[in-house]
Amino acid sequence: MLMRRAGLNGILLPLLILGAILLLLPLLGIEGYRLRLLSLLFMWVALAGCWNLMSGSTGYIDFGPVAYFGVGSYCTALFMIKGGVPFLLSVFIAGWVCAALSLAIGLSTLRLQGAYFAIATFAAAEALKQVVLEGDRVLGIDFLGGAHGLTLPSPPSGIFFYYVMLFLMGLVVSLTAVIQKSKLGYGLRAIRDAEQAAELTGVPTLQIKVRAYILSSSLIGCIGGVEAYWLTYIIPDDVFNVMRTIQMVIMTLLGGMGTILGPVIGASFLTLISEFLGAKFVYDYLIFVGLVIVVVILLMPQGIIGTLVKKRGKSSWLF
Amino acid sequence: MAFLECRRVTKRFGALEAVRNFSFALRPGEILGLIGPNGSGKTTLFNLIAGLYTPDEGEILFQEKSIVHIPPHEICRLGIAKTSQITMPFGTMSVYENILVAALYGQNLGMSKAHVAAERILTFVDLHKQRDEPAGKIPVPSRRRLELGRALATGAKVLLLDEVMAGLTPVEIEQALLLLKRLSTQTTLILVEHVMQAVMGISDRVLVIHHGEKIAEGTPTEVAGRPEVIEAYLGKRYT
Repeated sequence: MLMRRAGLNGILLPLLILGAILLLLPLLGIEGYRLRLLSLLFMWVALAGCWNLMSGSTGYIDFGPVAYFGVGSYCTALFMIKGGVPFLLSVFIAGWVCAALSLAIGLSTLRLQGAYFAIATFAAAEALKQVVLEGDRVLGIDFLGGAHGLTLPSPPSGIFFYYVMLFLMGLVVSLTAVIQKSKLGYGLRAIRDAEQAAELTGVPTLQIKVRAYILSSSLIGCIGGVEAYWLTYIIPDDVFNVMRTIQMVIMTLLGGMGTILGPVIGASFLTLISEFLGAKFVYDYLIFVGLVIVVVILLMPQGIIGTLVKKRGKSSWLF
Repeated sequence: MAFLECRRVTKRFGALEAVRNFSFALRPGEILGLIGPNGSGKTTLFNLIAGLYTPDEGEILFQEKSIVHIPPHEICRLGIAKTSQITMPFGTMSVYENILVAALYGQNLGMSKAHVAAERILTFVDLHKQRDEPAGKIPVPSRRRLELGRALATGAKVLLLDEVMAGLTPVEIEQALLLLKRLSTQTTLILVEHVMQAVMGISDRVLVIHHGEKIAEGTPTEVAGRPEVIEAYLGKRYT
């Protein structure tokens, strides 16, 4: 217990310093490409963190988180364009829309086990994408914009999005840390380890799985909304793209599933390595990214953080 | 007054009647032994009471109220906890955290109160030395005690213990019996057990189940002499 406290304090200070540096960076003259890259990195850390919040802690592999990214994007866009609602309020409402949607999807899919849950969530995401793509044509209206997508009002500067993404990243990481040592966190880990035993020990398994799913999904929705405004132009094939799901999954697995820092390390690593290799080998960099992923997974099967922790012996607060 | 009562409970799996027309009443504070040959329906009966299965016929009452159709976690919170024949620890969590989860959710406590309760149970089942070890990596006797501790930490009034002594050495069985004796001062126990000397020595009352039906009921000495019980275990030749 003492060791664990020391471990947390030992890492808390560097994290706070890092946070302060990140807050100050734009004032120190970081701009343009680098600012954009960092914002993108924050976004992916937040997204991977959200996925980890649900799948890392329960062991239920969610293969449809992009559904909420897309719904969040579209809600934010629609509120801003059609309703003239201010940006931050639109994002907030989009988060609640995603919460309501994930309650419905979660209650039905979280009764399924293992691969079936993964397939069901994947199907839900693909179905939603088709609804957005074909909705207008089927109903004969001009609302969602179909394959042409939607254009949002012109956004403020990159610094604005830098701070919003930084905030979202901080929110997701600290939420993960708080939940891990909370009643909810213990219940979720019990489900991951032995679901039936958890149920027999008084854990309302379905209810808390759904809670974790809603939390994760609504945050993903908010992030989607922010990105929509940042890029100003959204199409279903991008915001509902399954590649986004896969990226969240791979980042978390690379870093270490079910750990606090896993998604942070994994997402930073993959974003930076893709960027670096993308600049070096413009046309075939994905081959090299794939190679790097394979090598890391082979050498560190528990993810970067997970394997480091295991090597140091006992399970620590990172778990 | 019956504490826990089964009234003519039947459970079928396809054509097989795993439990047939089974009735019994549990008195508060007693130790009830449930014995029977392999496949006689003991575990099925436990799963019915714990809410993992729903009976096809009959009624299960706890403190005068029906608990049929109530999900397992709510039955646990009402005060019925079950340990499993095959231990199911939360493997990556520490021994202490396993008990903590039970206190948090079984008794529906807040964090600080649950810590106090978990410490107490940890001492009771004597797992202090292993408190920080991952529960998936401790030896079998400790696992059984953890399973007991976890059930106890839910604040159970009735414990359904499914073969807590399976796989233990005679010395370990002695220790387990002492622990059960201490337990029985706090809760009511139903034991499913294959270790005869253990169940006969500790139970106030014994039920014998065979092919899903109750074939005998009484004190251990009464039951052990019954010809139908000997027949169920050893065959007709020995009666």
